[in-house]
Amino acid sequence: MKDNFEIKEKFDESYLLKVSGLFKKFDKLDVLKGISCEVKKGEKIVVIGPSGSGKSTFLRCMNLLETPTFGEIWFEGKLLTPVDPYLHKTIIRKSKTYNKILTELLTANPDKSAEDFDEEIIERIKKEDLLKKNEGSTFNKSVKELYNQFFQNINVTRQKIGMVFQHFNLFNNLTVMGNMTLAPVKLKLKTKEEAEKRAIELLKRIGLEDKANVYPSTLSGGQKQRIAIVRALMMEPDVMLFDEPTSALDPEMVGEVLELMKELADTGMTMVVVTHEMGFAKEVASRVLFVDEGIIKEEAPPKEFFANPKNERLKEFLSKVLI
Amino acid sequence: MEERYVVLPFYGLWKMFQDIITIFANSEARGYLFQGFWHTLVITVVAAMIGLVLGFIVALVKIAATQSKLMKIPGVICNIYTTVIRGTPVALQLVLMCTAIFAIRGFTPYAAVLTFGINSGAYVSENIRAGIYSVDKGQLEAGRALGLSWGKSMVKIVMPQAIKNIIPAIGNEMIALLKETSIIQMVGSTIGALTFDLNVASTTIYYSKNIPVNSYVTCAIVAGVMYLVVVYAMVLIIKLIERRLRKSER
Ligand SMILES: Nc1ncnc2c1ncn2[C@@H]1O[C@H](COP(=O)(O)OP(=O)(O)OP(=O)(O)O)[C@@H](O)[C@H]1O
Ligand SMILES: [Mg+2]
Repeated sequence: MKDNFEIKEKFDESYLLKVSGLFKKFDKLDVLKGISCEVKKGEKIVVIGPSGSGKSTFLRCMNLLETPTFGEIWFEGKLLTPVDPYLHKTIIRKSKTYNKILTELLTANPDKSAEDFDEEIIERIKKEDLLKKNEGSTFNKSVKELYNQFFQNINVTRQKIGMVFQHFNLFNNLTVMGNMTLAPVKLKLKTKEEAEKRAIELLKRIGLEDKANVYPSTLSGGQKQRIAIVRALMMEPDVMLFDEPTSALDPEMVGEVLELMKELADTGMTMVVVTHEMGFAKEVASRVLFVDEGIIKEEAPPKEFFANPKNERLKEFLSKVLI
Repeated sequence: MEERYVVLPFYGLWKMFQDIITIFANSEARGYLFQGFWHTLVITVVAAMIGLVLGFIVALVKIAATQSKLMKIPGVICNIYTTVIRGTPVALQLVLMCTAIFAIRGFTPYAAVLTFGINSGAYVSENIRAGIYSVDKGQLEAGRALGLSWGKSMVKIVMPQAIKNIIPAIGNEMIALLKETSIIQMVGSTIGALTFDLNVASTTIYYSKNIPVNSYVTCAIVAGVMYLVVVYAMVLIIKLIERRLRKSER
């Protein structure tokens, strides 16, 4: 069975995070309409776009805080979502539907070969959503097998994906120290002593070691966000996701948070950042994505992205934000 | 004529005062009151325990039902439970339980306590659910994003915050429960049985030939004051817990 679907070959190990054909519906609202994106180790991706375009949803799908409707998410060679058979030509080719259509076409056109129809059939199967209806248990079993081969419990995966929220989301019932040590200790990644030692180190780095034993309600927004960032770092993540980390801050506090993020970027951390801070994007990003109406409309290195935008909507968007 | 207007109210009070002396001087009356007081406490405490455990489970099932497909059917059952229990009079539930569902001789008092517990559980579950939902969704998300399971995040992050909002509401429910137990007389009032509660005690004192009281009102007031004492004790306990919980925030 295994050699039937060789997806492992298709998954390029040089990507840390890979999003393929991501769709997300909220009831009847189509928010994401087919987003694909690869993040290499050490890359800094900045995502910009108008309000309501689906940036947060896109980011939150990456660690499955939102469940994608269709599409696959891969992280470090592990599959986070169910297998989407439409994304794998090898699977489609093995299906009964494919072979049935192929036989029909070949009998009608005896002078042509199977390869001539390959693309056409795959397109048709995708478009008409034929796999769900027509395939039997052997097909489902193969897809399942593939899934089991790459699947990893989401709670394990999330330990390696740090996330920083717009509204900080520090645990109100715990002190700063409690916030930082809860997950690593509960998940048995560190002993209590190790975790506390590491927490103090990180707090020193951001100059807040005197806040270790206070509750979040007594902190300023900038302090909260910087602690939220080091709380995520306690897990030693391989990628950090930021969802508008400075949007809820008073202007005078934006700087200190961006500064910490830049420091983090300099350490080689892989980052995906949704933000309206164009300065940060220009300075730090390896690639900038423009998300609009649920798709990526433009994707380029920051220089090209800002100097030479091609998409009309992006030009309009930039002219509004770059005043 | 004018004199009567002035005298009568005070005369009534004087009579009541006499009755109170009579009641507390009479050992039979004291016995009834003590027994009734004790039974009311036992009924309330046991029903409250049942209600709290049941309410907690139902609340968790309802929340879990929004999370996983596996809990859908238990969730529906719990919804029916809270709708029916909160939607019908407790007196009807009591009679139904004691005369139809558990029509077993000698079991009536326990069926009654069970009824109060089941009834209370429906309200408690809604209090707990509301308390949990009052905690910002971001708290659970932050826990999940760090790799904590749903259960761990609930226990370590959400519940400790929810409890501050839940305690006052549950306190209210417990006080309501205490007074509600007085309808237990609908299913029995035999001296010595568990159904002989504080409310029944006051009626028994009035009708007893050995206790010469003038009016029923006095008996009811004496029982009422004893209810008040228990309620006040409960209020103090709730305040104590609230203060404890708040302390851990600063
Ligand atoms: N849980 C949800 N249920 C229903 N609709 C949702 C949900 N979350 C987001 N949406 C909708 O999806 C759309 C995209 O939301 P999203 O938060 O991803 O946008 P965004 O690009 O992050 O916008 P902003 O810049 O305002 O943060 C919006 O129309 C929003 O109303
Ligand atoms: Mg957003």
